[in-house]
Amino acid sequence: MDIISQLQEQVNSIAAITFNAFGTLQRDAPPVQLSPNYPEPPPAAAAAAAAAAAAAAAAAADDPTTTAFPEQPKQLSADLVKAAKQFDALVAALPLSEGGEEAQLKRIAELQVENDLIGQELQKQLEAAEKELKQVQELFGQAADNCLNMKKPE
Amino acid sequence: MRVNHILSFFLAPCRRRIISEARNQSPSIFDHPRFPPLKRRMATATYPPPPPYYRLYKDYSENPSSAPEPPPPIEGTYVCFGGNYTTEDVLPSLEEQGVPQLYPKDSNVDYKKELRSLNRELQLHILELADVLVGRPSQYAKRIGDISSIFKNLHHLLNSLRPHQARATLIHIMELQIQQRKQAVEDIKRRREEAQRLLKDAFVTLDGQ
Repeated sequence: MDIISQLQEQVNSIAAITFNAFGTLQRDAPPVQLSPNYPEPPPAAAAAAAAAAAAAAAAAADDPTTTAFPEQPKQLSADLVKAAKQFDALVAALPLSEGGEEAQLKRIAELQVENDLIGQELQKQLEAAEKELKQVQELFGQAADNCLNMKKPE
Repeated sequence: MRVNHILSFFLAPCRRRIISEARNQSPSIFDHPRFPPLKRRMATATYPPPPPYYRLYKDYSENPSSAPEPPPPIEGTYVCFGGNYTTEDVLPSLEEQGVPQLYPKDSNVDYKKELRSLNRELQLHILELADVLVGRPSQYAKRIGDISSIFKNLHHLLNSLRPHQARATLIHIMELQIQQRKQAVEDIKRRREEAQRLLKDAFVTLDGQ
């Protein structure tokens, strides 16, 4: 894929990582205590939460794809920074020749002139070669006819 | 008339079976209809006819100039399947789209520098958005607007690189073509010289006899 399309893809992927990151964090965030006046959750719920947390930790240890919640922001921000660095690398790889539009147009005009010249030369060579080819074919035909009509040597 | 002809062609095997049964002969496998019986409306579904001006090209093979020329290319705007299209493909500037332009408006803008600085800005704004969501969640809208305008600027910059890329591709193709033509000229010269050398050798051989 050409470099500008790669750059565009990279920009889109940065955007995708960003909104996926914020979306996942918002979805998976544990509840936050809004004010110290609110009571702690009741102990039964705390015990159930502890049991659930233990089960989740065991599941996370077994399954390498699910990560505990504190790890997620680190991973997502690492992805974001990696994508941004790749974008910078692609920008550095842009083959932008300085000179702008006029220089390019001038170069195109020069190349057109050269192309025309060499096209004419090619045409000339081609015509000469075809002429020679016709001559040789004629001579070959004559030689073949002479061979066919040759009298038997005495 | 054509409909009847087509129907009779397809119904012939059925008629044969009916006739053979009437003659008290067992119907052979050749009498089974090979195609499923066509309904009457399917026989009328033919291709649309060619456009009526095909008659103007009756003598085209003898006299190519007796037929009308093809229509000239369309200029300006045209309507295609109900949509309006324009032949001028120009990238609309950011102001026309109502997006603030964040990089300096100059005739020769340094693309690499601007792209890198826009990338920096984008990262900062994303961090700001994260902060706002933690601290003051109701004020996200402005930050999102900033981030989206940065993205639009990025894409606009990349799109304005496309004409440059097109000219560079053209230059590359022309250089390749010049190289190929030079190669062809060399090849033809070489072959001609070789052919002349062969002929001269043949003359020498013949004269030597």
